[in-house]
Amino acid sequence: MKNSEQRSAEQAGRALLRRSLLDQKRRMALASALSTGHQAGEAAVPLLVGLIIDRAVTTGDTGRLVLWLAVLLATFATLSVCGRLGFQVGFGASVEAARSLRVDVARRTLDSRGSADSTMLPGATVNIATSDVRRTTAVHYQVTQGLAAAVGVVFASVVLLTVSLPLGALVMIGAPLLLLAVRAISSPLEQRSSVQQEQAARAAGVATDLVRGVRVIKGLRAERAGSERYRVTSRQALAASVHNARTEAGFKAAVIALNGGFLALVALVGGRLAADGSITVGQLVSAVGLAQFLLEPLSGFGGVIATVAAGRASAVRIAALLQAPPAVVGGELAPGPAGRIALTGVHGPGLAGVDLEIEPGRITGVLTTSPEAASSLRRYLGRELDPDQGEIALDGITLRDLDPERLRETVLVCPHEPDLFTGTLAANVLAGQPGAEAEAVKHALAAAGADQVAETLPGGLEAAVSERGRSLSGGQRQRVALARALLRDPGVLVLHDPTTAVDTVTESALAQGLREIRAGRTTVLITSSPALLAGADRVLMLHEGVIVADGPHADLMSGHPAYQEAVLA
Amino acid sequence: MTTTLPVSSPRRSRQAVLRHLRVHRAPALLGVGSLVASAAVSLVTAPLLGDIVDLAARGDTGPITRRALALAGAALVQALLAWIGLAAVARVGEQVLAGLREAFVEHALGLPLERIERGGSGDLISRVTEDVAMVSEAVRTAVPQFVQAALVIALTAVGLAVLDWRFLLAALVAVPVQVWTSRWYMRRSGPMYARTRTAGAAEQQQWLESLGGAPTVRAFGLADEHVELVRHRVDDSLNRTVGVVRLHMSFFSRLNLAEAMGLSTVLVTGFVLVREDLASVGTASAAALYFVNLFGPINRMLFLLDTLQSATASLARIVGVTEVPTDGTTSAVHASDVRPRDGEVVANGLRHAYVEGHDVLHGLDVTVPAGSTVALVGGSGGGKSTLAALLAGVRRPDHGRISIGGADLSGLDPATMRASVVLVTQEVHVFAGTLAADLRLAAPDADEQRLMDALTDVGADTWVGALPDGLETVVGEGGHELGPQQAQQLALARVLLTDPLVAILDEATAEAGSAGSRALETAAERVLAGRTGVLVAHRFSQAVLADLVLVMDGGRVVEQGRHDELVAAGGRYAGLWAAWSAGRTPA
Repeated sequence: MKNSEQRSAEQAGRALLRRSLLDQKRRMALASALSTGHQAGEAAVPLLVGLIIDRAVTTGDTGRLVLWLAVLLATFATLSVCGRLGFQVGFGASVEAARSLRVDVARRTLDSRGSADSTMLPGATVNIATSDVRRTTAVHYQVTQGLAAAVGVVFASVVLLTVSLPLGALVMIGAPLLLLAVRAISSPLEQRSSVQQEQAARAAGVATDLVRGVRVIKGLRAERAGSERYRVTSRQALAASVHNARTEAGFKAAVIALNGGFLALVALVGGRLAADGSITVGQLVSAVGLAQFLLEPLSGFGGVIATVAAGRASAVRIAALLQAPPAVVGGELAPGPAGRIALTGVHGPGLAGVDLEIEPGRITGVLTTSPEAASSLRRYLGRELDPDQGEIALDGITLRDLDPERLRETVLVCPHEPDLFTGTLAANVLAGQPGAEAEAVKHALAAAGADQVAETLPGGLEAAVSERGRSLSGGQRQRVALARALLRDPGVLVLHDPTTAVDTVTESALAQGLREIRAGRTTVLITSSPALLAGADRVLMLHEGVIVADGPHADLMSGHPAYQEAVLA
Repeated sequence: MTTTLPVSSPRRSRQAVLRHLRVHRAPALLGVGSLVASAAVSLVTAPLLGDIVDLAARGDTGPITRRALALAGAALVQALLAWIGLAAVARVGEQVLAGLREAFVEHALGLPLERIERGGSGDLISRVTEDVAMVSEAVRTAVPQFVQAALVIALTAVGLAVLDWRFLLAALVAVPVQVWTSRWYMRRSGPMYARTRTAGAAEQQQWLESLGGAPTVRAFGLADEHVELVRHRVDDSLNRTVGVVRLHMSFFSRLNLAEAMGLSTVLVTGFVLVREDLASVGTASAAALYFVNLFGPINRMLFLLDTLQSATASLARIVGVTEVPTDGTTSAVHASDVRPRDGEVVANGLRHAYVEGHDVLHGLDVTVPAGSTVALVGGSGGGKSTLAALLAGVRRPDHGRISIGGADLSGLDPATMRASVVLVTQEVHVFAGTLAADLRLAAPDADEQRLMDALTDVGADTWVGALPDGLETVVGEGGHELGPQQAQQLALARVLLTDPLVAILDEATAEAGSAGSRALETAAERVLAGRTGVLVAHRFSQAVLADLVLVMDGGRVVEQGRHDELVAAGGRYAGLWAAWSAGRTPA
C-alpha cells in the first residue's frame, strides 16, 4: 500500500521535473550548444600546443608559428565567449523555471480552498518554495553542462584515437577507470562528511539557541552552564571534524597519487610510441595535455548525477505540495445577506452533534471548555474545512454549496493568531477594506482601541510594522487586527479570543466598542473572556461537544454553576 | 537608538587567530612544512616530462621507462607528504575554529543585557549563525584550497625558472591581467553578494509572512495581492543571483585572456629559444604543458579571494564581540566573600532609562521583607518589568542601590548571585535539546529525581510523563513542541532547581487560556513558597494573595498596601479591580 503511494508520488515528481525541463527546452538547447563550443575549445588547446610544437617550434618556421598562434588565440576567444554565454543561458533556464515554480507554490498555498494536508508548518512550506525549488531547477543548467562535457569528452577521445590508436585507447579506458577509483575512495568519505556536517549543524544550532534564549539565561544566571553546554557540543563537533579532515586529506592525497600515476603511464606509452616514430613529439605533448584535460569534464559527470538525484527528490516534495487535494470541495453559490447561521448535528474534533441557531444582527458569545471545539467551530464557519458530519447553513443555504471565496466576502472569520504584515499600521488596517473612507477607518480604530496603539507609536498611523507585526506587543497586534476586521464590516463577523493579550480595562472598553460598531450585524465571539461574554446578547456554552448552557452572561453567571466555574477558572 | 556590537580591526582579528594558533604551533609547522615539501617534490615532474619528450625526439626508448617510473614515484612521495600536511593543517584549523567559536559564545552569553539590546539581538544572532558559518566554511574549504593553489603556483614559477628563466618571464605576461581582473572582481563581488543576500532574506521573509499568515490571507481574500508580493520578491532575488553569475562569467573570461596571452608568449619564447639552440624541444614542451596546468590553480585561487575577504569580515565581527567587556557572569572567579544574610530586598532611589533623558523609573524605593510576596500591578509602560529586571540584577540601575539580605547586589560574585536571586522573564524559551538538559541549565548537577520533583511541584509531571521519552525527550526547536503553558511551567521548574533566596516572576500569564492561567498561578505559588517573591501580576487573583501590592504608573509607585486596604481606599487600584471583576461576579 505504502509502496504504491510512494511510487505515485515519485511519478508525480518526475512528471513535474520533466514538464519544467520541457518548458525551458529552447534555452537549454541553446545553452548546450554554446557550452559544447566551450568544451571543444578547451579540448583543442592542448591539441594546438602539440601542433605548434610540431609545426613551428621543431621546424623553426615563423610563418607557421604566427598562423597557429592566431588559431590558438581564436580558439581562446571562442571558448571564452561560448563558455560565458552558455553558462548564462543555462543558468537563465534554471532561473526561469524557479520563478514559475515559486509562483505556483505561492498560488497553491494561498488558494481559497486550502489544502487537505494542513499539518505542514509554514517553515516547511517555505523550505519547499526555496530550497527544494532551487535543487530541482539546478537540474536545468547541470543538464546543459553535462551534455556539453559529454561532447567534449567524445571530441577529445576522437582526436586522441586519430593521433594514435593504442594511446587513445589507453587514455579513454584509463581516465574513466581513474575516476571510478576516485569515486570508490570518496564514497565512504561522503558518509563520514554527513556525520561531520550533522555535528557541526548541531553545535551551530546549540549556539544559536542559547543566544536566542539569552534573556532566560541571564534571568537564571545560567551563563556558565550555558557556555559549558556549548563547549561540550563544540568539542564533539571538533572531534568529528578532525576525524573527517584526516580522511579527506587521505582522499586528496590518493587523488594526487592516482593522477600522477596516470600521467606517468601516458608519458611512458606515449614516449615509447614517439621514440619509435609512430607519433610525433607534438602529438605526445597533445596526448599528455588531453589526458589531463579529460579528467575535468569526466569528473563533472558525478556532479551532474548527484544534482539530478537531489533534484528529483525535491521535485517529489514540490509535486506533493502542488497536487495536494483541497481541504473543501464543491460549492459555487454566493451567500445571502441576512446572516442567520444554523448548525444541525455538526460533528468534528471537539464537537459531538451540535445543534444551534444564531440569530442575525446580534452578538452571540460562545464559551467552549475545549480548545479543539473552538478551533473546529471557527474553521467550519469560514469553510476552511467542512464538518465531518452534519450541516452548517447560512440563510438556509448549506456552506458546502457556497464558494469559499464568496462566502468569506460575507462571513469574516478571524484566525486566532492576529497575523499582521510588513508595512505601516494604516496599511494593515486598510487591508480589511482597501479604499475605505477616513471616517470609517477612524471608527474602526476607535472601536478596537487601535487608536491608542497608534498614539503610542512614533509616526502614529504611519508607524512601520515589521515582519508579521513583531515590532508590536501581543496586545497591540490584537487591537490592530481587530480594527482591520471591524473596518471590513462584514455581514457576519466571527472572532476567536481576540483580546487575550489586552489588559482588563482596555478589554472592557473593547467590549463596549464592539457592541456599538456591530449594532445590527451578526457577530460571533468564541471566547472565555468574561468582559466580552458580558457584552454579548446571548451566550452559548459548549461542553464535551454539545451545548450545555444558553442565555445572557449575567443569567448564566448566577444560575449555572458549571458556566460560572468555566468563566472563573 | 541602536549601537551595533563592535567589529574588530583586521590587525586585532589576526592577533586573536594567532593567539589561538600559538597553542598548536608544532602541528601547524609540521603541516605547512609537509605541504611545502610536497609541492617541492612536484617540481621534478616538468623536467622529467621534458626529458621524455627529448628522448622520444632522439628515438631513445630505453631511459623513457626509468623517467616514467620516476614520475610515478614523485607522485607517490608528493601524495604522502600532502596527506601529512593537509591532515595537520586541517586539524589545526579546526582547533583554532573551535577555540574561536567557544570564546565567542562564552562572551556572547556574558554580555550585559543592555549591551545586547543596544545592538539589537538580531545582530548577535546573525553573528552566531552566518558569521560563524562563513568562517567555518572558509577554514574547511577555501583556506586549504587557496594554500594548495598558491603553493602550486609559486613552485611552478620556480619550476619554469629552473627550465629556463626566460620561460618564467614569459609566463609573467599574464600577471598584470590577472591582478587587474581580481581587483575589478573584488570591488564588485562584495557589495553584489551583500545585495543578493539581502534580496534573498527579503524573499524568505515574504514567504514566511505570506504563508505564515495564510489563514488571514484567505479570510480577507488577499491571495492575489500576496502572490504578487511573493512574485516581486522572487523576481528581485533571482535577478540578483543572475547578476552574480554574470559577474563570475566575466571574471573567468577576463582570466581566459590572461591564459591566452601567457600561453602564446611561452610558446613564442620556446620557439625562439629552440631556434637559437638555447633550449631543447622537450624543455619548450614541458614549459608549455606546465603553463597549461597552471590555469586551474590560478583561477581557483583568484576566485577564492572574495570568499576569503568575506570570511575575514566575518572573523572581525566574531572577534569584535569578544572585545566587549562582559558582566563577569561567565567567569568562575570568586570575586568576593559577601553573602546575603537572608532574602530581604531593599532598593533605594532607583532610576533607569533605556533612552537617555527618558527615565522609565523615577527614583523608586522598595522594601520587600524576607519571605514575603510583593505583587506589582499597573498598565503597560508603568515600569513593572524594568523594576523586576533591576531587582534581579539582570539590568543595572542608572542610579540607586539594591541590596539583598544586606549585601549590595553589584558586589556579589556569580555563584552567590545565582543562589540569591533569579528572574523569570516574559520571554519564554525552551532550549533545544532534551528536557533534562534544559532543566540542567539551572542545576547542572541535579539527578533525574530532583528534576522530576521540580516538574511535579509545578504541575508538569502529567504531561512530562506522557512524553515519548520522558525527561530525555528532545524539546524546543526541531524537537517536540511545547505549548506556552508547558514552557512556562518549565521556566518555573528551573527556578525551583536553582533554589534562590529571591524569585522574581515577570511571566506572560495572560497568554495562556484561563484554565491554563489557574494552573500557572498555583505553580507560581509553589515556587514562591518559603522565599522572597516579587511578582508582576497580570491577573488580580495573584494580587489578592500577595503580602503587599505596589501599583505602578509612569515609573512611580502610586499606591501601595494590601489588596483589601487598596480596594477600600477607592483609588486607582480599586478602579482596576472593578474592571477586572466585572463579568466575573454573579449579577
